[in-house]
Amino acid sequence: MLHRIERLLLDLACCAVVALGLLITVSVLLRVTVNSGVPDTIVMVRELMVVAIVLPLAAATTARAHIVVEFLSNRLPLRAQGWLVVFGGLFGLFALSPLLYAGWNEVAHNIGSGSYYVGQLNLPKWPGRVLFLIGMSFCWLRLLLLVIGDIRTLRAGGVPALSETTSSTFAEEDRS
Amino acid sequence: AQTTLILGEAGPNRGARAEATQAFADDVAARTNGDLTIDIQWGGALFKADAALQGVSDGVADLGTIIGVYFPQEMVAYDIADLPLLNNDSWVGMRATDELMRTDPTITENLAAQDLVYLGTFTTSAVNIGCKGTTIRTVDDVSGLKVRGVGAYGDVFRDLGANMVAMPIYDAYQGLDTGLLDCSQGYSYAVAALKQQEVMTSYTILNWGQVGALGIFMNKFAYDALTPEQQTALNEAGVGMADTLGELINADNDAAVQTMKDAGVEVIELDAAERDKLVERGKPYIDAWVEQATAAGLDGAGMLASYRELLDKYTAERDAQGYPWTR
Amino acid sequence: MDGTLIGLIAFAAVIGLLALRVPIAFVLAGVGTIGTFVIFATRTGAFTPDRAMRPTTSLVFSNSFDLIHSYDLSMIPLFIALGHIAYRADITTRIYDAARVWLAKVPGGVAMASVVGCGGFSAITGSSIACASTMGRICSPEMLRMGYDKGLATASVAAGGTLGSLIPPSVLFIIYGIFTETSISSLFLAGILPGILSLAGFLLAIYIWVTTRPEVAPAYEGDITLRDKWIAAVGAWPAIALFVLIVGGIYGGFFTATEAAAICVAAACVIGFAQGKLTVRDLWDSLRETCIQTSSIFLIAAAAKIFVAFTALTGVAPAIVNAVGDAQLSPVLLLAAIAVIYLILGMFLDPIGIMVLTLPLMVPLVENYGFDLIWFGVVVVKLLEIGLITPPVGLNVFVISNVVGKAVPIDRIFAGIWRFLAIDVVVLVLLMSFPVISLLIPNSL
Ligand code: NA
Ligand code: NA
Repeated sequence: MLHRIERLLLDLACCAVVALGLLITVSVLLRVTVNSGVPDTIVMVRELMVVAIVLPLAAATTARAHIVVEFLSNRLPLRAQGWLVVFGGLFGLFALSPLLYAGWNEVAHNIGSGSYYVGQLNLPKWPGRVLFLIGMSFCWLRLLLLVIGDIRTLRAGGVPALSETTSSTFAEEDRS
Repeated sequence: AQTTLILGEAGPNRGARAEATQAFADDVAARTNGDLTIDIQWGGALFKADAALQGVSDGVADLGTIIGVYFPQEMVAYDIADLPLLNNDSWVGMRATDELMRTDPTITENLAAQDLVYLGTFTTSAVNIGCKGTTIRTVDDVSGLKVRGVGAYGDVFRDLGANMVAMPIYDAYQGLDTGLLDCSQGYSYAVAALKQQEVMTSYTILNWGQVGALGIFMNKFAYDALTPEQQTALNEAGVGMADTLGELINADNDAAVQTMKDAGVEVIELDAAERDKLVERGKPYIDAWVEQATAAGLDGAGMLASYRELLDKYTAERDAQGYPWTR
Repeated sequence: MDGTLIGLIAFAAVIGLLALRVPIAFVLAGVGTIGTFVIFATRTGAFTPDRAMRPTTSLVFSNSFDLIHSYDLSMIPLFIALGHIAYRADITTRIYDAARVWLAKVPGGVAMASVVGCGGFSAITGSSIACASTMGRICSPEMLRMGYDKGLATASVAAGGTLGSLIPPSVLFIIYGIFTETSISSLFLAGILPGILSLAGFLLAIYIWVTTRPEVAPAYEGDITLRDKWIAAVGAWPAIALFVLIVGGIYGGFFTATEAAAICVAAACVIGFAQGKLTVRDLWDSLRETCIQTSSIFLIAAAAKIFVAFTALTGVAPAIVNAVGDAQLSPVLLLAAIAVIYLILGMFLDPIGIMVLTLPLMVPLVENYGFDLIWFGVVVVKLLEIGLITPPVGLNVFVISNVVGKAVPIDRIFAGIWRFLAIDVVVLVLLMSFPVISLLIPNSL
């Protein structure tokens, strides 16, 4: 279930990259050809950036794509390295919690106050914040499940996946 | 006890506004005999300009420079200083804005509800426009040009048929240089500071209005925790900012216009009749502001009337006595 | 508790947690958050945690959100997408095959071509991270495919990416110009020769590497005729067309560097589809990889931003700069001290963060010594660029590591970096000793 949601979020992020690329391309073409443009391009691109970057965080976590420095821990036995992976995950859960809490406050504040960006369209500020909160929440949840899974693996005598699976694995997996 | 307050500023520690900010901090220290000092964090190290309001209201910094244009909803009262009203005198604009912000109890309440206290105001000074390869002598000349504009002034340029190109002021140099922009709205001192005279061929002084909704605000809890003497010191230093910046910015602007002339830029003053067309075109945006302020529970029409009176009052004071630094 | 002390403890904690294999983004965000909380909780002297919650969460949110919520940085996902799409559409492979054929006689020729490519790409973007992420995606996999040593294939591009801010345009020079009220165009001109010198240095580093250890860069086997060369060159036309489109578009005034990224992605898709080399499926896979990579790069950058805001609260940077100022050093010692300060800060912080934290105090200090601010700007930018490839926090290295995935562990990249760092130190000393290298072009125009 979570895996499907992650893929949906990732695909939404891909749509955002396509959208921001098209938006910029169209506004350049309009400027060069008919001396015109798309209103509030900058605001829309900034909001799309949030979609493109925050929504795939859960998928990046699944792919263990968060970069680590390994040269010291590599000398340890495999199981010890496994426990360090668990520790890194727990630290991540802790590090991301304030962002979740603050994201929640921001969403409540911006929906309540009706804040908006100055521009021709006066676009509201809340959608980017809501998407930030959604992306962070799923990332946090995925990290929690990874940590729990890794602890189980270790207690059963195994070793969790240490280094990242490449992001292309994620893309290929869907194809099969 | 000795207290150090943190001031978050998104801009650099150079230029007239930075000098005025530093002068404000020094003034506060002097007025409290060093009891209250202000540590300024420049360059958006704590928060960027578009997060300043939340940063001050949440107490990330005790004080901060807030730019009204980023917060049209929250800073609707302050945004009166950004309206394209006929007044291009920095000092008059600042004193009028300062008095309105300080004396209107509904504004104070509106700010308090956001955990903010108003302390003092700046201005970016008069809005003008510089171009490369073209010259704006009449309002009709704007039509069809690629223009970088800001706020209601930019809206008026668009209404006049300009094609608005959105980019930060720091990119305008390259934009003008490559021809991506024909013209860029700006302020004289900023043109010189960013060396735009190197790529401009003409600079039109509009004698129109200014962008004035930027100033120092304080976190209400931090303010309430101070002694009455310390609060007075902050407020008096805040009033003084208008005189400090007024003198600095007038000198900078005059020097900048000279720099442009020396660089071979044609400097034109827009004809008064043409200027009046701009003012006329700006009216819908003033009406829109009144509506918006009224919707926010403020007396929009009343505030606008008071603000116009204050502009007249300080214009009269300047005409009678000159600027404070020349008296 | 004293802010400087909290700051130093935090720096130590960063090193410790990184050694314990905690992901870099979590380390910077977590330590930055705890440190910020402690500072806010102890501001009044007593420990008041309830008063620290609101400012801490606000600082953490606004700094991370603002970094992501950026128009200018939209060029990063777009340029990364360009790399992926160009790879799948065979565009990068063909330019690399051309480079291999043409440079067959030059040892390590393809790595050198990559670094020159970085120099060319840095003339388009103002950002080292954008430069490294794009060129990393384009060059490293191709060099690995040709059997180049993993360290060489990655470190060369991580180092080449640092040219992004030295060769104009450059975000760092713009920020420096604003902070010092010096001419941004003079700074851009001043960066050209030092940029070329650095580029030449990197080429030399590669040359020394491959001549002392030829196995790191396999030579092209077989005879090459002139005909082969021309076929390879003609086959590489899409890459050349893209480059001409970007450079012509930016310098012809049709679009900005940010816009160029979008235009290029569109053009690469058109070329790929028209040649039948790219399918919708390929495009979507490219985008998925792009999104995952962009998201982990930005997570690190956002965490680094939180750490910068925390460092600002500690007052560590002004404490160090003031200590150096009070020491009344001779000009040479002052320069050495400044270099050490920037290199140490560069171990932990990102370039823009270091600039906003140090320049307000550093500039008046060097002005008192009568240093030329344009030349000093070049020195500062070079120092900050070196910081991008020094451990433990070397953003360019992370970016390359991210785009090559598990094919090359990050330690392998750092292990290859030292050769380039050594050359960089030589270049730095030259730039410091001979201001004329920086000032020749701006002063002669
Ligand atoms: Na560059
Ligand atoms: Na570093």
